[in-house]
Amino acid sequence: MHKHALIISILFTNSIKQNAAFINFIEMKVLIIEDESGLQQSIKKYLEHQGFVCEVVGDFVTGMEKVYNYNYDCVVVDIGLPYGSGLDIVKQLKKIESKAGIIIISAKNALEDKLKGLELGSDDYLTKPFHLSELNARINAIIRRRNFGGSKTILFNEIRLDPEALRVTVNEKTVELTDKEYQLLEYFIANQRRVLTKAAIAEHIWGDEYEQVSNYDFIYTHIKNLRKKLIDAGCEDYIKTVYGTGYRFTDI
Amino acid sequence: MKLLTKTTLYFLIAMVPLLVVAGIYLFMQFSKELDHRMDEELVAEEVQWIRYLQNESDNGTTFILRTPELLIYPVNAPVATYPTIQDIYDTKANNKIPFRQLSHIVPVNGVPYQIIIRKSQEQKSALEVNITRIMFFVFIGLFATTILFNWFISTRLWKPFRNSLEKIRNAELQKMEAIRFEKTAIEEFNELNASLNSMTTKIHNDYVNMKEFTENAAHEMQTPLAVVQSKMELLLQDSNLTDNQVQSIMDASMALSRLSKLNQSLLLLAKIENNQYETNETNNLTDITKKYLKLFDELIKDKQIITKTNFEKDFILNLHPFLADSLISNLLGNAVKYNYSGGKIIISVHNNRYQISNTSNLPPIDSQQLFKRFNKSKNSADTSNGLGLAIVKRICDTHNLSITYSVENGLHQFNIQKK
Repeated sequence: MHKHALIISILFTNSIKQNAAFINFIEMKVLIIEDESGLQQSIKKYLEHQGFVCEVVGDFVTGMEKVYNYNYDCVVVDIGLPYGSGLDIVKQLKKIESKAGIIIISAKNALEDKLKGLELGSDDYLTKPFHLSELNARINAIIRRRNFGGSKTILFNEIRLDPEALRVTVNEKTVELTDKEYQLLEYFIANQRRVLTKAAIAEHIWGDEYEQVSNYDFIYTHIKNLRKKLIDAGCEDYIKTVYGTGYRFTDI
Repeated sequence: MKLLTKTTLYFLIAMVPLLVVAGIYLFMQFSKELDHRMDEELVAEEVQWIRYLQNESDNGTTFILRTPELLIYPVNAPVATYPTIQDIYDTKANNKIPFRQLSHIVPVNGVPYQIIIRKSQEQKSALEVNITRIMFFVFIGLFATTILFNWFISTRLWKPFRNSLEKIRNAELQKMEAIRFEKTAIEEFNELNASLNSMTTKIHNDYVNMKEFTENAAHEMQTPLAVVQSKMELLLQDSNLTDNQVQSIMDASMALSRLSKLNQSLLLLAKIENNQYETNETNNLTDITKKYLKLFDELIKDKQIITKTNFEKDFILNLHPFLADSLISNLLGNAVKYNYSGGKIIISVHNNRYQISNTSNLPPIDSQQLFKRFNKSKNSADTSNGLGLAIVKRICDTHNLSITYSVENGLHQFNIQKK
């Protein structure tokens, strides 16, 4: 009996510790409404890796049902769905005054769709194909923005980010970072432990135009500076270079 | 030639012989009638003269009467039952004077007399001239009224036709559904307008279908691409992969992202061609250039390129913001991409001309090939899809801009000018 309780308590503290370490959102629920099962599963797998609780549905009708009956922190919805349009789900979410953040993912890069989606109350719009790391970063940003009551700071071991003030501290000591370095760090922490390609990093920080440039040397410069500043502040070296691919931000 | 001019002409061509024939017929009938009257007068006069002769020659006197209009004398010739009446001309005077002459040999108390009575026909000619003149005026009047009437018909009757024509002339592919051809009072025009209505409806439907097709084509292609990309991103997370495997995944995902960009570029081209970026917004190219100089800052710094801008004034265009971005990002992107380390980019606006030039190690581009799709510079192993300049050209073409390319002192230079 006693032994049992001990094990549970260890497990419990471990999980708390892990959650605190990896993400700031405990048990954040994400609903993915996407009819393409391949993409659906990829998104689910990636988000679960990052600590989200994911539910997936593949069509308009069940999507509507879920939205009606359960609360989510974020809803990722495709526009082109069987039996209906994702835009109507966005409308519905707004109508029932859901607190969920909304991200539209669509194959259509049509400006009208984008504007309509944002007008209806969607928080973001992502055009397929996208990097899973990008989707994850955006979900994180939206949840943090919508998390009015709770803490808006991002924690990773000794690092603390204050997104509103764009302030970074390591062990309570302020580290001066440039805008790009700050964005890099935030992106790294959101996608901690994952391998991030240079293309994905460039696109996230510098924009679509950078997804296909012939060399990504400029990323190296920024990462080198970020790493140096963090280490100088007494932080552990979490940024690992993955040969031929990109980088991984990890504490294991 | 206008349809109405043509019909009027045909009408007149048909009218002329008809009027001429009618005129001639009328003239002849009239002349015959006049002759007939005169002949009756001549005969009546003759009868009176015969009666007079008979009364006066009872005592055996022989008469010889001669006046310009009357000749009576006894002859030794057989008598005739009927008088002969004919037209003659008196040639004594210089100008011929037409006469109607009756000549008859009649017995008067057993003596045959030659009676010749003449009457001048000058009156008749005068009448004929008058009639011809009147006919001529009628003829001219008919001409004039026909033309006037046709002009009237043209403005009134053809009005619905002209309305339809004006609508067709102003028709735009994007606004086809707004065009409706109204019902008119004329059946033929109703038929025409009904056909035009069904045609515009069909064109509009086809246009909508085409738009939907291009959108759907993108949708259908982007979705599998998204699946593949997401799977590769997950695969990359596997820590058991060897360097070779990782390299393969990286190469594959690079190719995949090129494919996706290519798809988007082709779509963009199709959309520009379909005029799907109509807008009333104006954009300032100098502002957009500044924005992209900032955006491309990393690449410019990385290549140690010196940029110079010289904006004398704004370059404002009626251009969709998305296309304005696309135009500048392609031109500036190329200027950076094909530059050498430590090169230069000069952007200027003067004399209503937007000019971007850059240094490059590449030879001048063949102007024939310049704006062709999938035309890649053979000596650069870059990831370009060869559509950038085709998009630039297409944007210029559809927005009344001319774009020219030249190489001067090693500077590759693109000029955009409002037409």
